[in-house]
Amino acid sequence: MTQKLSRRDMLKLAAASAAAVGAGLVPTIRIFAAPPGQDTVTLRFQENEEQYAKVVEAFKQQFPNVNIEFVNVTGVDHAEVASKILAQLAAGQPVNIGYAATEATQLYAGEGLALALDQRVMDNKDELAEYFADVSPVLVETDLYEGSLYQLPRDFNAANMYFNTALLKEAGLEVPGEEWTKDDFVEYAKAMTGIGEGKDSFGYGWTNRLWGSWTPWFFVNDTNFLSEEKAPGGEWLWENFYAGDPNAEGRGGGYRWPAPQANNPKMVETLEFVLSLTKDGYAPEATIGGGDLLQGFFTSGKLGMTPAGGFWSGGLINAGMNVGDFDVQFWPKWVSQRHQLGVGAAWILNGAENEDQAWEFVKFSSKKEVMEMIGFFGELTGTTPVRRSMNDEKRYSKSGPANWHVFYDTVDKRPDTGPIPAPVFSIEETNIYTRYTSSATSGEMSAQAALDAMQKDLEDLYARNA
Amino acid sequence: MSSSAIHYPPEHRRNFIGRLLAADTISGVKRQRMLLGYLFIAPTVIGLFVFVIGPMIGSFGLSFYKWNVFRPPEFVGLANFQRLAGDARVFLSFKTTFILVAMTVIMLEGLALALALSVYRLANRALSTFFRTAYFLPVLLSGAAVAITLGYLFNKDFGVINYYLGLLGIPKIPWLTSSDTVLFTISLTTVWRNLGFTFIIYLGGLSTMPGEILEAAEVDGAQGWQKLLRITLPLLSPTILFAAVTDIIKMLQFFDEPFIMTRGGPGDASRTVVMMMYESGFGNLDFGYGSAIALVLFAVIMIVTGIQFYLSRRWVFYG
Amino acid sequence: MATAVQNTAYKVNADVQRPRGWKGIKWTKWISLVFLTVMAIITLMPFVWVVSTSLRNSVQSFTVPPKWIPTDMDFSNYSRVFDEIPFWNQIGNSFIITLSVVVGQLVTASLAGYAFARLRFPGRNVLFTLVLATLMIPGQATIIPVFILISRGLHLNDTQWALIIPALATAFGTFLLRQYFKGIPDDYEEAALVEGANQWQIFTRIYLPLASPGMAILAVLTFNAKWNDYFSPLIFMNTKERFPITLGIVDLQGYMATGSISVVLAGIVLSTIPVIIIYILGQRYLVEGLMAGGLKG
Repeated sequence: MTQKLSRRDMLKLAAASAAAVGAGLVPTIRIFAAPPGQDTVTLRFQENEEQYAKVVEAFKQQFPNVNIEFVNVTGVDHAEVASKILAQLAAGQPVNIGYAATEATQLYAGEGLALALDQRVMDNKDELAEYFADVSPVLVETDLYEGSLYQLPRDFNAANMYFNTALLKEAGLEVPGEEWTKDDFVEYAKAMTGIGEGKDSFGYGWTNRLWGSWTPWFFVNDTNFLSEEKAPGGEWLWENFYAGDPNAEGRGGGYRWPAPQANNPKMVETLEFVLSLTKDGYAPEATIGGGDLLQGFFTSGKLGMTPAGGFWSGGLINAGMNVGDFDVQFWPKWVSQRHQLGVGAAWILNGAENEDQAWEFVKFSSKKEVMEMIGFFGELTGTTPVRRSMNDEKRYSKSGPANWHVFYDTVDKRPDTGPIPAPVFSIEETNIYTRYTSSATSGEMSAQAALDAMQKDLEDLYARNA
Repeated sequence: MSSSAIHYPPEHRRNFIGRLLAADTISGVKRQRMLLGYLFIAPTVIGLFVFVIGPMIGSFGLSFYKWNVFRPPEFVGLANFQRLAGDARVFLSFKTTFILVAMTVIMLEGLALALALSVYRLANRALSTFFRTAYFLPVLLSGAAVAITLGYLFNKDFGVINYYLGLLGIPKIPWLTSSDTVLFTISLTTVWRNLGFTFIIYLGGLSTMPGEILEAAEVDGAQGWQKLLRITLPLLSPTILFAAVTDIIKMLQFFDEPFIMTRGGPGDASRTVVMMMYESGFGNLDFGYGSAIALVLFAVIMIVTGIQFYLSRRWVFYG
Repeated sequence: MATAVQNTAYKVNADVQRPRGWKGIKWTKWISLVFLTVMAIITLMPFVWVVSTSLRNSVQSFTVPPKWIPTDMDFSNYSRVFDEIPFWNQIGNSFIITLSVVVGQLVTASLAGYAFARLRFPGRNVLFTLVLATLMIPGQATIIPVFILISRGLHLNDTQWALIIPALATAFGTFLLRQYFKGIPDDYEEAALVEGANQWQIFTRIYLPLASPGMAILAVLTFNAKWNDYFSPLIFMNTKERFPITLGIVDLQGYMATGSISVVLAGIVLSTIPVIIIYILGQRYLVEGLMAGGLKG
């Protein structure tokens, strides 16, 4: 990449400048650069090198002529990471293997960037049977798009409720049972407000984003700001890998969110409830962006409860908390106890060279013994592994809450758990959602007004992408 | 070497270019300076053509397309501009940017000037070095680092600032979470980081002011405010203009602080033009619409600069 | 250059009549001293908070009343910075990128500034207006085409060159130095011509040293802007080892921002130390350069 400018490059530069000067800039762009003709194949892999060092080492023993080059992309949320990956595609430096969470799964699939894995999965049916048997169909379904599978899930996080046990204790409470309700929650929030070392704690806090924001609340109120339905198809997967699994019944070809419905009465009711927590003084004002602030408050004993998944546990230990300082439970019941979740996994660039090698790597990394090598699944849990068998006492012994089993029970015992709404144009959708959420939390708009405005922007968005 | 060459006068020994540029003839000097002129400006002019003017024209071209990188670009004529004309959010982002720029630049120039005048009057060298260093320290931090840090300090419920205000009996101020205060907070943050630099520029301006004039003014009985208003400020006006223009151009491109502190919120209350552009271009991958916003920003900056030059001709005192 | 700065500064300062001593201290002086002190406290407070919080376990990062004096001296946050990002690589990248751009801009801008100020050639005014016009084009407005040019035209995406090359030519620097060159009286050149100096010598030996205050300002401005640049690395750089430190700091916030605040603050402290050292080393030249200010005659 750092080679000297050759005459050909100069010509290219001249051509590019000319193209830039004319309005013809656009059509000269090709997405996929011609690969170098080499025997050794290099795969550009969107991951953190430290997390995958052992995996790559093991892979290279089996495939010595495949090089893995890491592309480490960071961002405050998955939508931001996705836009950076797309910008790299525009730069002609595509990744061969990307990593997408639910936020971007349909974006890559729907834009034709990700490779459908159906045929390859079926070709390796025997080998992969063990994998699917170990992974809940709830998780797999989120990686289907219009009947085809685009990713083999690696990790997931459903929004469960985290508790600061010191504040619980001070309030004279215990971690509630699985069946606790929204009303119980309010009592908990109230009791854990205004206590702690500085007598300034809040019972509950959340961050304004798509995942784990106030999203869990409208899930348990059995509604959504986009209508939700299932695409047809996917039988090939369910019949071949999940025959006889009761949790696989009624699954289809992936989620669809065909229309916005942000201002329906149940959404308004939900937002009003969430705002009332701040109004009553049980919750601080939610801010947009990273969860580090929330984590800081939680670890320093100023926050009683907050939505988070398995990915939080390792971070809390890293931040100085000890095992036992926090615990976790299902999200409280309202109309339902349906949880919202996000699933992360690798995807393969469609139409690029070396698809076969990329598939080998993806398949290789889905083996249990290989997944165990991933840094995120090390001593401190960086995120929840999708394999049921990897969610055990041992895994959470150093970074786990006592109720660590809640993480996987969320998909096994609450199989109606579903993905956060993230259609093809999820980046813009997320922006609209967080924008009007902040208008409401700041008190600038009433719940109704904010959701009306959200609905209007979403309608425009759908019209533009029709 | 033929012996005859030795006797040639100097200019005959030169080749054509040498003769053309001979320093010892008047036209030679002129030509030499001409050629040198082109050589000297070449790197800058070429660089600006390739990386500023060309891309600007490229943006112009892009604004007629609908293009999201992976679908083939589609020529849409003026559709992006039509959408822009009806986009209340873009208008709001311009208003937000102007308010931010005005607030920040006024605070920045005012405070920096006051600090510079005060430090300049200090006779104690150690003290003046201390203040200079203290004010300059934030300049060394990145906008990202400052935004992260002050974001924590300005937090409504747990921030250090509200804690101390609370001790004074002031209720919690929603620094970053209310549209009434958020622009002021971002301005304060930006002023905090940039104050030291503008201050040093003013201090420099003050130090180079001709001492005789000040002395003479004092002899004539000009004291205190009178001296400041009649003598010091007019003498300093070229520096003030320079600092203000630099700051305004910098602030019109407001991005790091609001992007990191509020992501444009609450609602759109702190969304600047560059943020709108970034979100359209790199967030929503609508390169055409992003480019159209960029062009409007360009037009606005052109108008602002025009006004500035007009004002500076009328008001700035060039000694 | 350093000597030149000192010489000029000396000359200029010699002319300046500083207000004399503490005799006749008036209440206005006390007010200004109080004002200066309050402003210094406001300026320094966040630094103290950053340092003391970075030295505490993050479980205590939000204790009230805030603890200003770092009694815990917990350096674990600092060692975690080195665990989580390739700190030395990233600091090195920042230096390479920043210094290349500073040197490059000093060269291109002093050449162009001199030419526009003192050399006469056809088209000079048109070209200068064009250069000035580019001042109005916000760098971020052209980022999409520049990005395409750098990555697809030059194949320099994700290399330091992507951050260096587009920044080498500077309209602002050219404008700034042109002002300095214009402010230098013509007598110098005439005297030099009489002594037989050629045009290159006149530029390098006479005008360049005299414009060094302007160059110092440009250098500092550029250093500051480039070192702290967050926007363009965000767009051009992908590989952790090639990041400048500004991206590294944001990286510390971790996956879904699960990094700890104390570690982020420790990273901010570490990344600021080199700049502070440079500032301390260069302070004399910097401040004297800026103090020597306009040379406006």
